[in-house]
Amino acid sequence: MFLSKRRFLQLAGLSIANRVLPAWCRPTPKRNDQARKVIIVTFGGGVRYAETFTQEGERNIPRLMEMRPNGHFFKTCTNAGVLSHFNSTASILTGNWQRVDDFGFQPPSGPTIFEQYRKQTGAGAMDAWAIATNKSFASMGASGSRDFGVPYGANVVLPKQLLLEAVQEVVKKNPKEGVASRDNVMRQLEGILSEGYEGVGWTIFKAGKQLDQHVRDTLTRGLVEYIHGPESPSSGDELTFFITREVMREFAPRVMLVNFWDMDVAHWGSYSLYLQAITKTDRLTGMLWDEVQSNPSYKDKTTVLVLPELGRDGDQNASNGFLNHRSGDASCRNMWMLAMGAGVKRGETDRPVHHVDVSATAAQLLGVKSTEIIGRAIPELLS
Amino acid sequence: MPSQLKVSPALQGLIDKGLFERLPVSFGAFFFDQVKDWELLFPAERGYYERLFALLDRSDPALVANLFAPIREAEQKMGVNEKTWPKGVFTLDQVDFLNRNASYADWRKAVAIVFARVDPMLDAEVARSGRPRFVLVTAPADIPVGPDRMWRRIEKLGKRVSVDPSGLDEMQSLAAQYAAAKAQSPYDVWIIGAENLKALPGGVALSYERLSAYRLRLMEQVNKLVNAEDIRGPRQLGERLKQLKLRAEEGAIAADPILSEFARSILLAGNGTLLINNTFVEWAAVQAIRRARPSVAVIAFGIRNKVKPFSSLLIYANQETTTPIPTQMDTLGTYVDLEVFYQYIWQEFEKYIEYRRNTVYVFVAAGMDEAFVIAPPDFAHGDSLKSQQIKGWLGL
Repeated sequence: MFLSKRRFLQLAGLSIANRVLPAWCRPTPKRNDQARKVIIVTFGGGVRYAETFTQEGERNIPRLMEMRPNGHFFKTCTNAGVLSHFNSTASILTGNWQRVDDFGFQPPSGPTIFEQYRKQTGAGAMDAWAIATNKSFASMGASGSRDFGVPYGANVVLPKQLLLEAVQEVVKKNPKEGVASRDNVMRQLEGILSEGYEGVGWTIFKAGKQLDQHVRDTLTRGLVEYIHGPESPSSGDELTFFITREVMREFAPRVMLVNFWDMDVAHWGSYSLYLQAITKTDRLTGMLWDEVQSNPSYKDKTTVLVLPELGRDGDQNASNGFLNHRSGDASCRNMWMLAMGAGVKRGETDRPVHHVDVSATAAQLLGVKSTEIIGRAIPELLS
Repeated sequence: MPSQLKVSPALQGLIDKGLFERLPVSFGAFFFDQVKDWELLFPAERGYYERLFALLDRSDPALVANLFAPIREAEQKMGVNEKTWPKGVFTLDQVDFLNRNASYADWRKAVAIVFARVDPMLDAEVARSGRPRFVLVTAPADIPVGPDRMWRRIEKLGKRVSVDPSGLDEMQSLAAQYAAAKAQSPYDVWIIGAENLKALPGGVALSYERLSAYRLRLMEQVNKLVNAEDIRGPRQLGERLKQLKLRAEEGAIAADPILSEFARSILLAGNGTLLINNTFVEWAAVQAIRRARPSVAVIAFGIRNKVKPFSSLLIYANQETTTPIPTQMDTLGTYVDLEVFYQYIWQEFEKYIEYRRNTVYVFVAAGMDEAFVIAPPDFAHGDSLKSQQIKGWLGL
């Protein structure tokens, strides 16, 4: 069932109000205002050092370059695990190198930071979110651990999957206009959302009728922002950003994963499209940081950790360079990490850190103990 | 090793002698998988496998055992056994097993050690029958930069020379002349292009445009498989995709089983070859170099179209029909893409002994009065280049 036009405009209006009103005019967020928060951003889909923090690459990441002096930059953040998107991201979230099915048919093999946090603090379901792109990430919110698992997991939202289903349906139903009509796409998105999230692989914890409606409205606002925003919507990551922002504004969760993915367009074999995707991800990451800075629930109490989950094959001696991420060479494994916000000492570090250190660090920031993990908390982020 | 394998008598003899049984499980299985469709291999590939296994067979068994010891050790650490790795089997399950194993890096290193010792011996055999080769890489006229910016990634490898822009057709025609006069097999001369190509008697002409009917059918079928049928993952999808063969009405190369299978594998490699003309050209070129080792290759890029909104979500949909937004050329994007591809293509050729110090590479754009040449020292070209010089180089 589609939303009525009136309801649609109401939602759009709300959304615009959020954008045009100064922060002090906005409704006061209801939860977790003082506690430390952590947002892990995977600058994702696979990006090489060569196209980011190098002399040649800096032009692709103007926002990160602008943010870097105000944060702590780790020059070497290594992924020593399996070079697939699921395993790499699950390693970041669990603190152990993951070797589960690459295509998301198995959940992570040890408790994620979401489960550790929720179980130890008793935090509610709206306090941990994973907003990811690919359908294979449907099981990213909770591990298969007997003592943890789904009851302590994160809400998992897969905006690209929602968009994919909507766009395919629009093309099928409106062969003339296709996806050129934003209204067609919007109507379809709303339709899918109102029919239930499960069909698109999402996990949203049931929290009573009123809260369910609240979640639904929040997500719909993200869709409205996306479809009717100033720029022509074209990819899943933009929707990921808008939904993330709405979730932050409405639920102010303490721990979030925001997983971007557009750079994986590199598999198409167009270097220019890959570079464009990097720049877009840079812009969205910058916008996310802006939201942290302007949202009273997050400003001065949030640590944002930005890192690519994996690189891509180097130009030399690989079968096809940037197109893939399977050679295991340094270009695939050696990343960087940029930490911003609360508790972060400005500067940069040569000392290598690892993807598995992120979870241990996030646990300390959230005031919980991480058990049986190989990752170590990063002292530069714990001041 | 299954007895129904159809390979050359020479290789069959080695198999019957139990050569594969003496190899580490993963190594033997990989090569068994490579040769199992013997009739679909190019002559250069068949020759390579025969030389590799003949070398292993005639070498001192103790040396061979020593050569493979690191792989055996890595396999042991990885837990390779009959359950994880049934004999002679190398499917995506095994690839997945390797990729996810904590000792994968050790295994890769051990395999690299084997080839570091074997390849120079195999290369020496090939080098003895070396001959002059020629590679022409062309770009379309619409590239929005001049010769000073065309080939920057490879500029240190060669030099810019002046050419007569009207002489490009003549240079391209060298492929047909070589195919008619000197080709050593029907796969010794290749033209791979984004646009429509004329047939190349005695050689291979592979065109993205000419395969459009096949491409659209593949996209439709993949879309159907992924969305309408219960395909659990890439392993199941891979099995189904193997059945989507080129039909006679979709391209003249369908008559040749080797080329037909080559086109299928290129288009379904998952690297954008179905969607982007120049990705098809690059990947087809890389695979042709690796597998067929042509003596003469013409690689003709085109202009890539701009990507329409939501294309990344509609990978297997016909981009011309999903939106009324008119198709537009992306000339600047094409330039950026090609600069990288020039480097990758040159690197791929130079991986193989057949091409090192034997090959004249000419990079040129339609309408441009300069070309970029990478050539061995014994190819004299001064500051200008004419087809006649290449003709002389090839002995035509």
